[in-house]
Amino acid sequence: MSVADSSANPMPAKARRGRTIWSSFIKIRELNVLAALLVIGALISFATPYFLTVDNLMGVSRSFSLTAIMAIGMVLVIITGGIDLSVGSVMGLASLITALCFDQGMSMPVAISAGLGVGVVFGGFNGVLITVIGLPPFIATLGTLSIGRGMMYMITHGVPLTPDVPDAFVEIGQGYLGVIPIPVVLLIVLTVIFSIIMRQTRFGRHVYATGGNEHAARLSGVKTDRIKLYVYMLSGLISAFAGVISFSRYLSAEPASGFGAELNVIAAAAIGGASLAGGIGSVEGAVIGAALAGIIANGVVLMNIDTYAQQAITGAVIIIAVSLDVLRTKFRR
Amino acid sequence: MKLLRASMKALVAMTVLAAAGTIAQAKDITVAVVPKVAVPFFDDCNTGAAEAAKKLGVNYQWVVPQDTQGSTQVRIIEDLMAKHVDGIAISVNEPKSVERVIKEAVAKGIKVLTFDSDSANSGRSMYIGTINEAAGETMGKSMADALGGEGEVAIVTGQLGATNLNERIDGVKKALADYPGIKVVAVEGTEDDLAKAVSVVEALFRGHPNLKGIFGVSQVGGPAVAKVIASKEFESRKGAVKVFAFDDLPDTIKGVKEGFIQGIMVQRPVTMGRLAVEHLVAQITGEETNPKDIDTGVTVVDASNLDSYTK
Repeated sequence: MSVADSSANPMPAKARRGRTIWSSFIKIRELNVLAALLVIGALISFATPYFLTVDNLMGVSRSFSLTAIMAIGMVLVIITGGIDLSVGSVMGLASLITALCFDQGMSMPVAISAGLGVGVVFGGFNGVLITVIGLPPFIATLGTLSIGRGMMYMITHGVPLTPDVPDAFVEIGQGYLGVIPIPVVLLIVLTVIFSIIMRQTRFGRHVYATGGNEHAARLSGVKTDRIKLYVYMLSGLISAFAGVISFSRYLSAEPASGFGAELNVIAAAAIGGASLAGGIGSVEGAVIGAALAGIIANGVVLMNIDTYAQQAITGAVIIIAVSLDVLRTKFRR
Repeated sequence: MKLLRASMKALVAMTVLAAAGTIAQAKDITVAVVPKVAVPFFDDCNTGAAEAAKKLGVNYQWVVPQDTQGSTQVRIIEDLMAKHVDGIAISVNEPKSVERVIKEAVAKGIKVLTFDSDSANSGRSMYIGTINEAAGETMGKSMADALGGEGEVAIVTGQLGATNLNERIDGVKKALADYPGIKVVAVEGTEDDLAKAVSVVEALFRGHPNLKGIFGVSQVGGPAVAKVIASKEFESRKGAVKVFAFDDLPDTIKGVKEGFIQGIMVQRPVTMGRLAVEHLVAQITGEETNPKDIDTGVTVVDASNLDSYTK
């Protein structure tokens, strides 16, 4: 590693070497989770003829796309060593604010911007609480989770909001590009963009450095507080984006929309190999994690498994899949 | 002059006090109504209850739990006991978990009744609401008529384990027992989440190509099924799959108008709320001493009476 190189990229040699080891580790883990996804997909398609059809696969992808999109923001936060519990709440509130704008007769660009604005404001607020005041991310985002949820109840009084919307808006959640539902297209686009950001840009490297060893990163000139502020704002923005898609898909802003979504989103990131201790994780992994949970949820209904047993089976399959992944990695080394 | 003004003031104050005194008796009574969670159904209960409270001139509190856990309602009842309210009407999330605390409240002289969802062994004075099993039977019969007694059907419920939903399911199955040609091929939970319900219904349609009927026994079922059938992939199922739903949410009503839903079992939440407050106050003032359960019943709403039914 040359002197010129390290000055262009302010990171200690140790952390850098660490990163390359980690990134190769991550690559293997993604492949493993992807393998688990394919194996479980194959098992389900043996058990039921209705799984492996274009309609079903596209339907399932559309179902898990919102969780997967939010998982992209979440994995960034988790890589910095943080957590964002407010994602479901922000998603719901963004969908509601978008609906509210349409209800007041505002135009589509205004309604969508307002929805996305909710995410930036909440994400920014999270970031300020965590970096300026120094609250633990768990507490700060737990607080904003409640605030967002409370605001939804205050606005709706429990009644779903179902305004008329322009046809163009409906396309976002319900349209297709060929056979692929638009939410899935958006998921793919976001995955590619953030995968490149995390692998190729200085911002991406700084996100990993912040979570890998914050002290060392700060000493080597990474503005860790600013990085954290940005990832929480991104997580908020992405969750709000999911909220806008959700409203377009269901055309009904439900007061309980996004309730408990944070758990599924965090699970997706973790199944995809992200470490809640920070420093490790990948965008692709998180998306594959969401897909894994999504096809299991679809499979248990298609296979006519008793509804009372479905949750237990879902949990068991996830534990087995991720255990196999971890064990394989262990034995390889 | 000063003296005159002061005595005028005193006079005004006395009149106000006297006026306040006459209504103080009713105003002294405070009743609290606790729904399961914030959903439109309970908004209607609130409307009925608030109107009744206003008419009777009693203080009224509407206390909404933040989640559907049993423990949350236990805490709310404890808080209300601490505030010394005179009466509590509650729609119970988990019958068992509130038994002890309701008994405590009753022992302290607070009148407690349940509405919409019961806790039968809690010592509450009465239950006001839909007898869910009877409503389920009505639903099952309506479906059997619509299908001519033949075909595969599926039941889409809300929270697994919710007592009132399970009673409706029991009622549906009881009614269908008379029709051997009808087979229940699946019962699916949705956590009352629209997004999850839509995924579940899509999977049901794909997994059961011969499906002829869907029961939406919780309020999320109607809108979810209507959304799925309205999508391009499943539009051929419109009318071929008979759908019966519960509760008249705007999207469910729309589903009936557009022909996706054949009938809705509409409960009478406004009536429940009104009766709850009226009976609480009557028990507090001692006018009612031997209360009995009240079945508020359901109205089957279809295209023919969509514009004329009342709650």
